[in-house]
Amino acid sequence: MDPTDGDDEEEFGLSRNYFLAKEIGSVSGRKSARKLSDIALVDEQVLRAAVPEIVPKHEKETASLLKSYKDLYSKWLFELRCGFGLLIYGFGSKKILLEDFASSALTDFGVIVINGYLPSVNIKQVVITIAEVLWDQLKTKRKCSTGSKPKHPFSSQSTEDLFLFLDGQLPNENDCFVCIVIHNIDGPALRDSESQQYLARIACCSHVRMIASIDHVNAPLLWDKKMVHTQFNWCWYHVPTFAPYKAEGIFFPLILASGGNAQTTKTALVVLESLTPNAQSVFKILAEHQLANEKEEGMPVNTLYTKCRERFLVSSQVTLNSHLTEFKDHELVKTRRHSEGQDCLYIPLASEVLEKLLQELV
Amino acid sequence: MPPSPISDLPTSSAAAASNDVDNNLQPFFVLHKALPRKSERKSSGFGTAKRKIDLPPSSLKSIEKSDVSSTEEASDWIYEQLRLEAFNRTWSKIDSTIKDVLRQINLNLFDEVQSWVLESFSKIKSIRPHKISEIQRPYPLVTDIICRKIPTALILTKNVEFVDDLLTFQELGGHLKSSGCHVAYLTSLDFSVKHGISGCLRSLLRQLVSEAPDMADISILASWYCEPENCDNPVLVIIDDSERCCGAVLADFITMLSEWVIKIPIIFIMGVATTFDAPRRLLPSDAQQHLHPCKFTLGSPCEKMNALIESVLVKSCSGFSIGHKVAAFLRNYFLRHDGTFTSFVRALKLACVKHFEMEPLSFLGLDILDEDSEIFQQGQCDSLPDSLRNHAFNLPSCQREKILKGTGGSLVHGLTELRRLQKCWSSVVMCLFEVGKRKNMQLLDIFCEAIDPTLYNLRALDHNLQLSSLIGRNLIEGKSSSAKGGFIAQAIQQVRELPAASLSHLLNIWGVHTGEMNEIQDRVRELQSIISSGGGGLIFKEKCTDIHKRSRSLSAGKGTLSVNDKAAMLLDGMVRKFLMPIECVPFHEIVCFKHVDVLQSALIGDPRRTIQVDLLKSPTYLQCCCCSRGGNALSSSMHDTSIMYSLAQEYGDVINLHDWYQSFKATVLSASTKTKCKLQHSPASKKVKATPSESEATIQARFCRAVTELQIAGLLRMPSKRRPDFVQRVAFGL
Repeated sequence: MDPTDGDDEEEFGLSRNYFLAKEIGSVSGRKSARKLSDIALVDEQVLRAAVPEIVPKHEKETASLLKSYKDLYSKWLFELRCGFGLLIYGFGSKKILLEDFASSALTDFGVIVINGYLPSVNIKQVVITIAEVLWDQLKTKRKCSTGSKPKHPFSSQSTEDLFLFLDGQLPNENDCFVCIVIHNIDGPALRDSESQQYLARIACCSHVRMIASIDHVNAPLLWDKKMVHTQFNWCWYHVPTFAPYKAEGIFFPLILASGGNAQTTKTALVVLESLTPNAQSVFKILAEHQLANEKEEGMPVNTLYTKCRERFLVSSQVTLNSHLTEFKDHELVKTRRHSEGQDCLYIPLASEVLEKLLQELV
Repeated sequence: MPPSPISDLPTSSAAAASNDVDNNLQPFFVLHKALPRKSERKSSGFGTAKRKIDLPPSSLKSIEKSDVSSTEEASDWIYEQLRLEAFNRTWSKIDSTIKDVLRQINLNLFDEVQSWVLESFSKIKSIRPHKISEIQRPYPLVTDIICRKIPTALILTKNVEFVDDLLTFQELGGHLKSSGCHVAYLTSLDFSVKHGISGCLRSLLRQLVSEAPDMADISILASWYCEPENCDNPVLVIIDDSERCCGAVLADFITMLSEWVIKIPIIFIMGVATTFDAPRRLLPSDAQQHLHPCKFTLGSPCEKMNALIESVLVKSCSGFSIGHKVAAFLRNYFLRHDGTFTSFVRALKLACVKHFEMEPLSFLGLDILDEDSEIFQQGQCDSLPDSLRNHAFNLPSCQREKILKGTGGSLVHGLTELRRLQKCWSSVVMCLFEVGKRKNMQLLDIFCEAIDPTLYNLRALDHNLQLSSLIGRNLIEGKSSSAKGGFIAQAIQQVRELPAASLSHLLNIWGVHTGEMNEIQDRVRELQSIISSGGGGLIFKEKCTDIHKRSRSLSAGKGTLSVNDKAAMLLDGMVRKFLMPIECVPFHEIVCFKHVDVLQSALIGDPRRTIQVDLLKSPTYLQCCCCSRGGNALSSSMHDTSIMYSLAQEYGDVINLHDWYQSFKATVLSASTKTKCKLQHSPASKKVKATPSESEATIQARFCRAVTELQIAGLLRMPSKRRPDFVQRVAFGL
């Protein structure tokens, strides 16, 4: 099963190192100047609609792969009960796997799931919830609770007090803990060092066990030695699932939707439509000039000013400048130096795109 | 799938709470709460561990007659519980042994620090006004600037890895607390720029003042200290990783406390990893002025390591030990990978967990060292179900020794023998280490050599085998041995070179170590008597210590041997006879963990390499019949992301999106039979017309999703504004 033999490395033809790649990059980078716009890109909405419709490949095989991991559940449970945390990695979404493990094997314990792939997670809220779940669990376990009841509701306690509660010592109650499942502990919400410090502190509490997944190849760089050896106490498991990252990928932009010209036309249009008719007309003068003189580097500022005055679009240089600042802020217009040393304005869009834009602006 | 996860979040709408999709967008949610124990028994019907009966181990026999399958399941569960319990007891034994050993090493230092603390405190007290009313004023006492110095113990850890010393500082704190001092721990996290001085002050107050209001105000501390029960003891502030603190915040903290030092006698204890002048590099000079430093030094990591190996692995305090390969792995892990004591202990714990998890009979090991428990063990072995008993006699070590199917009795006998042999083994290892110490050998090295079954078998094969060939073999296998010879061979050689006084001392220690081996004891006594009587050999030896080599050949020629040679021969004989590695003993699998690959994969995950291999070798994992297996050829049926990543291998550090898309499209549209020839020109292949079944939109969507997945895996960086048509590769090679 494990294809990490030394011999295989060569077989992949992967032994090229970074410098070799750099070399190739500089050569092919010059050679291949093809643009994304050369592809007949479909409309963004069509693209977005198509993503959920993708027919999954190897459904049977991924399902049986997931099923084969069920044999690990008892091991995982054993290790959790021995005080280790589980760190699950390997390609493919591990969301379903972990939640299945939690709901079938961790029924003795309260389980809280954190979705680290989201843009933000409030860890203080999580700690409060953990404390509440633990409190319920302790209450039902021992009918006569010897521990002192919380004086305040958990939500009003300080984080330190909550940690003290989670890290409490209970005689003969080794096996009472709350499990925290973290999807993507390396996700955008948790990637900063403060969050990781908090998670590490949660993980080393005596009443907490952590089950986390990572997807990023550099995830271990998030932790220092103290966190790794004394707090998280990970036991690693390589569990590739090849399941699609449906939930995890929601917040990533589609590369073919955000990059192309279609997108630029649209954003430019949105910006222009929000400007005054006079400003729009100034832009049009510039655009028409650029279309008429494609080979020139741009339009000198005074030429633009003269033309705008002729059409009564601006009354002074100051008004024109304020329009130009607006354009520049939205990257509709840029300046570059003319071959004769003069500053001139141009619109950083291809001619076809510009034509399309002018048509839609009318 | 989870049975309708309940969301406890205030932000979630109640109607959609059970909805999976909704949960996916919650930052967090409660999947379920703990079920009451009884109902749990029935519901946990996954895998083999159905928990129907919860019986103590003593009533095992009574179950055996009931329904076979449920009995098996029940006993499976019971034995799992037994193993878990055995792990907990074993590890707590090991853990407390480790802690004791470390405390013992540090005890002298702790006492030194304690007396220094008391001394400093009495100095402060002597300056302090005696009138209690004066102390209780709510502002700092005005004194001479010279007195405003905070006594500071700088504890040199001699170890850059501060993790190893966290426990030491905890212990030190405990030690000082027991003598009545008030102790607060601060770490570099408390001294952050973000929270500034209030962060550390808050943390200090929280630890000292019970019921402290959540305010950062030093006067709270002052009024707390004025209370009669508090004011007779110094306040110790322990900062274990002082060099990682933010210098400015620490300086503010020091300056502030120095104002109050007469009133609140604060004493700092700081861990310093580098050198004595660390504060000078960290703090501005005015803050430094307020410190009155004093230097202490901790024991070195090597010392700790030797003590740990001795107490945990050699003098095995628990029913757990490790095989040679695991030992060699742990040694490498310590020396090359991490170098921290903490990580070594953690690795050992993980090995222990894995052992109790994997070896069905491991729970028998728990009482292996306790001689009184034989009867109990007998009972345990007799009550084993047939499957487990068969397992015991099918262990490779048993098969090798041709121990036929036996009863519980022979199992107990085997375990007793194992215990006896282990004791002899550990005595010899300790004797070797006593010699090796004089040559700065590490116990871990000797241990790894002593536990190696191949070396033992070689020794047993040929009594006259020269050490050099052993060494040669060692070098070939890349094992631990220095150029001059194996550590054991070096130790034996060392005995020959010892001066008389040391030899006599050594023999005394050997006498202690071999206390239970009568045969050896007699020989040791014999040698001791020769030395004390000032035998001729000794005089002869002393004459020619500098040219000992010739002396040995001379003495051999004469047929008389020096005491040193006799001692060396004794040691050599002990090594041959008693240094039997645990892996050569029948039933050792019950206490000995040998699965080095399991340990390695659980200890050191390698996502960077593994995730790439997952992608490049997806058919191996998926085991499908459609994709070409074994070969590297791409086929359209492969996982999209896998295709994309394989294609990406053909580019340099940047990938042209257009080309990448076109080759992706070509790959997915080509029939799998044509794949091999199409692949050749992938980066520059011409546009392929979409078949009606695969619309352009779908292919583009698949492309986008694959890019996203590669981005999640961290293998790609998105196009920059400067180069909108290129993505950047992040990983190069495995």
